[in-house]
Amino acid sequence: MEGLLELSDVTVRFGGLTAVDAVSFGVAPGEICALIGPNGAGKTTLFNAIAGNALVDAGRIVFQGAEIQGLTPHEIAVRGIRRTFQNGGLFGHLTALENILAGLHTQIASNFCGLLLGMGRSARAEAAATARALELLALMDIAHLCDHPSDALSGGQQRMVEIVRAVATNPPLLLLDEPAVGLAPPVRDRLCTIIRRLAKETGIGILLVEHAIELVMSVSDRVIVLNNGSKVTDAPPEAVRADKDVLEAYLGRS
Amino acid sequence: MPRSASDGGAPRRRRNRHVFWIVPLLLLPLPLLLDPYQQYVVNLALVYVPVGIGFNVIVGNLGLLAFSNVAFFGIGAYSAGILMVRLGLPWWVALVPAALSGGVAGCAASIPALRGVRMFYLAIMTLAFGELMRWVYIRWEPVTGGSMGMALPTADLFGWALDSEARKFYVFLGLVLATIVATDRILSSRFGRAFVAIKSDELAAAAMGVPTNRYITLGFAWGGCVVGIGGAMYAALIGHLTPIAFDLTELILQFAIIMVGGLGSLVGSVLGAVVITAAPELFRDLPGFQELLFGVLIILVILFLPRGLASLLARLHPVFQDRYYRG
Amino acid sequence: MMILSQLVISGIATGMLYALIALSMTVGYRATTVVNFGHGDMVMMGAYVMLFFTVSAGMPFLAALALAAATLFLFGFMMQRGLMEPIIKGPHLSLAIMALAVGYALRGVARIEWGNETLMLARPYAQDAFMVGAVVITMDDLVISGSVLLLLLALFVIFNLTPIGKVIQAVFQTQRGAQLVGINVPAFHCAMWGGGATLGATGGVLLALIVPLTPDMGVWTLVRGFAAMTLGGFGSLHGAVIGGLLLGLMEKLLGFYASTVFIDISAYLVTILVLLIRPQGLFGRHATLRV
Repeated sequence: MEGLLELSDVTVRFGGLTAVDAVSFGVAPGEICALIGPNGAGKTTLFNAIAGNALVDAGRIVFQGAEIQGLTPHEIAVRGIRRTFQNGGLFGHLTALENILAGLHTQIASNFCGLLLGMGRSARAEAAATARALELLALMDIAHLCDHPSDALSGGQQRMVEIVRAVATNPPLLLLDEPAVGLAPPVRDRLCTIIRRLAKETGIGILLVEHAIELVMSVSDRVIVLNNGSKVTDAPPEAVRADKDVLEAYLGRS
Repeated sequence: MPRSASDGGAPRRRRNRHVFWIVPLLLLPLPLLLDPYQQYVVNLALVYVPVGIGFNVIVGNLGLLAFSNVAFFGIGAYSAGILMVRLGLPWWVALVPAALSGGVAGCAASIPALRGVRMFYLAIMTLAFGELMRWVYIRWEPVTGGSMGMALPTADLFGWALDSEARKFYVFLGLVLATIVATDRILSSRFGRAFVAIKSDELAAAAMGVPTNRYITLGFAWGGCVVGIGGAMYAALIGHLTPIAFDLTELILQFAIIMVGGLGSLVGSVLGAVVITAAPELFRDLPGFQELLFGVLIILVILFLPRGLASLLARLHPVFQDRYYRG
Repeated sequence: MMILSQLVISGIATGMLYALIALSMTVGYRATTVVNFGHGDMVMMGAYVMLFFTVSAGMPFLAALALAAATLFLFGFMMQRGLMEPIIKGPHLSLAIMALAVGYALRGVARIEWGNETLMLARPYAQDAFMVGAVVITMDDLVISGSVLLLLLALFVIFNLTPIGKVIQAVFQTQRGAQLVGINVPAFHCAMWGGGATLGATGGVLLALIVPLTPDMGVWTLVRGFAAMTLGGFGSLHGAVIGGLLLGLMEKLLGFYASTVFIDISAYLVTILVLLIRPQGLFGRHATLRV
């Protein structure tokens, strides 16, 4: 099957320490994959490697048929991989709407000189972008927040805005970095619904890193378990739940 | 003020900024009301508007501690002056190369930032750059006239000599309006948003597909260009260039403009230019006092009005509220 | 060979001065990680205050020096306490501009008090010169180098051999750890800024022995201090000293063998090039903050 994202023996080292050790797996369009594992297992590092925030020492990362390891984060984003950040990557003093517009950056057809000279095309592109951003916010039922400065929003609302911002350009692949951290259970449920909707309705492939096991089990199509930088297992949630190696990874060695 | 999306179509959020056009309209009869000296002060304030605007784009919007503004100012001024004196070009022709050289200087100054140099280190480096330029003005005598400087021919616009403060006023006003409008367009666009995103969280900005390095250079280039225009205006206004006009004192004054006005605010840049230009003129004959009071003013602003005057205005009425500027 | 030796002697003397100034800037920076852009003007002020005590108050040289040092200590202390501490949590720009503005205000005070005339500090010693072999060593060179060496020695002793020095080392190493054992870190910061100001004032006095005083000499001082700190590595105390010496030597040697322009622009070039190529300088503890 033509995978959306294919990792082959990806290895990441930090000054002597092997954080990710020859990990291979794939994500298909419309599939929700979760990366789980104990602290220090290498999940965040692997995540960062895919997004271009960490250097890959060996192996290949192939996205839509092209190799992307070694590309800069913004190049990867332009190609269609978008991510959220653990500690909130929202632009604090921008409003929710402005954040979404930032997410739409690559699709706004205005150019510098056109703007300077007041060319209609650039101005129209900006206006169209605003309309699209409002549409997106409405889809997620948070349109009323559009003019609120983002740092004034609640944790859950911020998370929603971040996700909307990440999917604004309809990226084929979405990387969610601990989307549920710090959220109350009802908000977590809403998050699950949104993640499922995104994957099933729009065909976005989703790879998420999470510590909340229940959430992972309920929302994922496949779960990839990492321990000490290596892949322990790669299977649907029910199989992983019963897997002895996984239990050992979490309860046994660090 | 939150408003729902069902507010109909297009400019739903745009505070109506067109009302600002009343200001230049009201200013038009100014030369008839002021004596030449007062008009000169107004012209000086106009010179510093683009200086403040360009500086604010780099420091306020992009959030980079670049102490290179006086270098851009001087390069713009000296470029215009050198082209006028050494090549005999008229001022209005020299304007474009002056702006461009400011832009190129901006690109050069952005290089350390591209390599990840930030904060105090960037400040120190760009400060050194500015002082290096001043040394060039002093030492490159055959071209710049050395420490004695250069006297410049009268500026002109397509042959219309700007030999009175009134004439300079109208030309400067036009230039200032152009830079304000152009900068406003940039800042309101995805570029301005990208600048502020870079300032806010560079990693996240890159994750949106913003080519951060390219945009940092772009911001510096635009800032340098606009300040360069201010430099050319300065050359036309004063008619004489000396290196001492582009030293650290000048840098502090330019910082005062954007800090008193409001970092990241276009309204603030204009305000700051007006306030800071007017003040020294009151102390022209008391050199030490000017420095002392200015220093104290900046200290007070940092302690008690860190967001600048624009924040006060923004509280009065949202029309003064610049995008991304939180007062 | 003779010329080379002469240049080296001269370079070391100048370098000693730079070393002291860079060291004085580093002390405050090490404590608070805030760069004091007004430090050059504090150095200038130290020289002017000294002038006041010797000329206007007619005090003997060393007594005046002690008083000038104390005055600047107080100033540095109060500046940190009253102006920098309140805004320490704010944007870096505010910290930089605050210091710049303080320096600017100091320049104004100097200009009001002493005007724009150039003044010189009277030397408390005869302006002799000695021949050592074929090389001329002036009394100025000796006094400056000697004074700086003495100071460095004293600082070394204090830093490494006294209880106070241990405290300073501790706080430099870990502020939170120091807080946990009950050291008053904010007071420490103020004391360090005071100490840096004192050292700077001493540097200013030495400088004023050999060059005429003007209110604008602060900028010259600041740039060279930065260059030396950058070369030696920001935050490194011995780096500041070595950086200063190297800068002094560079100016003299390049100034003679390459072109006189290097006397003026070595500092600028060093700052720009080092930060571009090897931001941590020679002994830098932190690499340039990268995003």
